Amino acid sequence: MNVILKNSIRFVVIILLQTLVFNQIEIGYGVHLMIQPLFIMLLPFETSVFTLMILSFSLGLIIDVFSNTYGLNASSLVLMAYLRPIIFKFYGPREGYDPLKEPSIFDMGSRWFLFTFGFLILIHHFWFFLVEIFRFDQFLLILQKTLFSVIISFILCVILQTFLIKKSKTK
Amino acid sequence: MRNFLAFFRRFRVFLFFAFLQIIALSLHIRYLSFPKNQYLTTASAVTGKILEAENDVTKHFNLSKNNSALQQENIKLRTKIPESFYKVGRNLYKIEDTLYEQQFEYIPAIVINSSVTRRNNYFTIDVGTKQGIKREMGVFSDKGVVGVIHNVSEHYSVVKTVLTKDINIDVTIEPIGLFGFLKWDGHNPKKGSVTGISNDLKIKRWSRVVTKGGSGIFPKGMPVGKVYETLPVEGEPLWDVVVKFSENFRTLQRVYVIKNLLIDEQKALERRIPQDEEDEDL
Repeated sequence: MNVILKNSIRFVVIILLQTLVFNQIEIGYGVHLMIQPLFIMLLPFETSVFTLMILSFSLGLIIDVFSNTYGLNASSLVLMAYLRPIIFKFYGPREGYDPLKEPSIFDMGSRWFLFTFGFLILIHHFWFFLVEIFRFDQFLLILQKTLFSVIISFILCVILQTFLIKKSKTK
Repeated sequence: MRNFLAFFRRFRVFLFFAFLQIIALSLHIRYLSFPKNQYLTTASAVTGKILEAENDVTKHFNLSKNNSALQQENIKLRTKIPESFYKVGRNLYKIEDTLYEQQFEYIPAIVINSSVTRRNNYFTIDVGTKQGIKREMGVFSDKGVVGVIHNVSEHYSVVKTVLTKDINIDVTIEPIGLFGFLKWDGHNPKKGSVTGISNDLKIKRWSRVVTKGGSGIFPKGMPVGKVYETLPVEGEPLWDVVVKFSENFRTLQRVYVIKNLLIDEQKALERRIPQDEEDEDL
């Protein structure tokens, strides 16, 4: 399938899932489910950092409009998009990434995915709650919210990948 | 020179990143203080329509609970209508009353989008300027105060709930009549706090917290919650009074918007109070 078409479908599906389903779920203990980092994560390896940032800014802004956070999601997603190439370079194989593969848990293995996506989603959530609360006397609350939300969002994103993507044939 | 160009190339990515961050964060900060642009919130027509369609599905999940709550309120109101009183005199009820003038009118609304887990929680309701909603009108449910209208469009409006950073509704604690401001610390959607209560008075647990009605947004004596505990504030002769809200904001669906018919009169009168020089410094 065409890369642009595939990612456009993902873009819409992630927005609908996040705004209509996961925004409405309240687990308690400060857990706030966010699956939008998955879209930025699953963009192809060769995507330039500018495209990444523009896409994440628009995705974030659309989700902001639906959840009255207004700029929060955009800010945290842009930060994540900015860091993605750096993290990928750090954890990447020595000979570079295979352009036919996708940065998903199936193509790259669970260990690689845990490190890269785990780190990115941690940064994303931490920035989100830091800007949202923005009080240093409530730093523990920020940490608590980040930690609990990251664990559940990460598990959710792993499960979602089985629905959103097919395994590449080149493995 | 080559080094400089390489440096600039690397810097260009960061510049673009900083540019987008500044846009996003300034939008965020501006929205918190004053919502200038309603098209980019859930009050806008497109998002409002989508969320309304979603609410059409999900509203049934809490239907029985909400129905019984409405029934309870009906019973309460039914006891107050003229038919449920024994008529002692013929002229007990007059339609054109000169002693009591209508001050508050209520507009029913349905919550179509809500959140309680964030630091600042907003509800979207399905009434707008067409129903005569304006900014800074009060919103309450059958159990108590919900919030204040923050942003209005033609068909929808966004409510700033009591679960936001600076809601500052003026309340009193009932038997002793102390004034304070309602705040929320962002931890628990069931509990808020009242600040500015001096600690030389004892406050009984479970005493009622009601609106003071000073700002004209809410009528006097509308329930907010009950006192859960009083904690000392370090270094100040004040209590931090923890209030348990009487409304459960997680399952809230039906609310009423308060239209104060005399608010313009009150505001025009209060505007004539000469401003104190010292007050502006504070």
